[in-house]
Amino acid sequence: MKFLALVVVVITGALLIYATIDMPDWADPSSPASTHVSPRYIKKTLEETATPNIVTSVLADYRGYDTLGETTVIFTAGASCILILRARRRQRK
Amino acid sequence: MLDFVISKYNYWTYIILMMIGFYAMIGKRNLVKKIIGMNIFQTAIILFFISTAAKKGGTLPIIEHAPGHVIQAAAYVNPLPHVLMLTAIVVMVSTLGVALAIVIAIYRRYNTLEEDEILKLKR
Repeated sequence: MKFLALVVVVITGALLIYATIDMPDWADPSSPASTHVSPRYIKKTLEETATPNIVTSVLADYRGYDTLGETTVIFTAGASCILILRARRRQRK
Repeated sequence: MLDFVISKYNYWTYIILMMIGFYAMIGKRNLVKKIIGMNIFQTAIILFFISTAAKKGGTLPIIEHAPGHVIQAAAYVNPLPHVLMLTAIVVMVSTLGVALAIVIAIYRRYNTLEEDEILKLKR
């Protein structure tokens, strides 16, 4: 069982390392991740949101709905924690 | 060859870390160890995304000039992976909390956290 897990892990790791051959180099300024949409955020953030910190402006301004959803995730997790722990206590009585 | 290793070894580090977490998730029998493995796995993914944000010669994504100044996009690191990983950290903490709550519930019922003992008690 443990040997089978080790075999699966090694195969998956080898496949992932093989896939890194096609990945862009580390800190490459012309990698796809930093050439498509992010220059637009960097250039426009000051005039559109008046916030010097780009991470803050994207988090709270451009992706405000995403952050709202994030708070929903936290609320759901907290509520389900309370529900799980409470139900057990009542059953024991 | 050395250039290739230098430009790719960060990915290999994260893959090794991720595989440690993956092995803990599928190979270990203790439920708390499985949760620790899940956390290591998620941390590896977060590190991987943060490493894609790096740019040679780029500084922190905080604009240092007054409005009206021409902003070079190559002078700042990519801010989007940082933002997305903030969201991922929130999801990670939520899953950790719910998983630990479920483990507490399992322990109250079976008085053990070993998977094979729980399966034996269920039978």
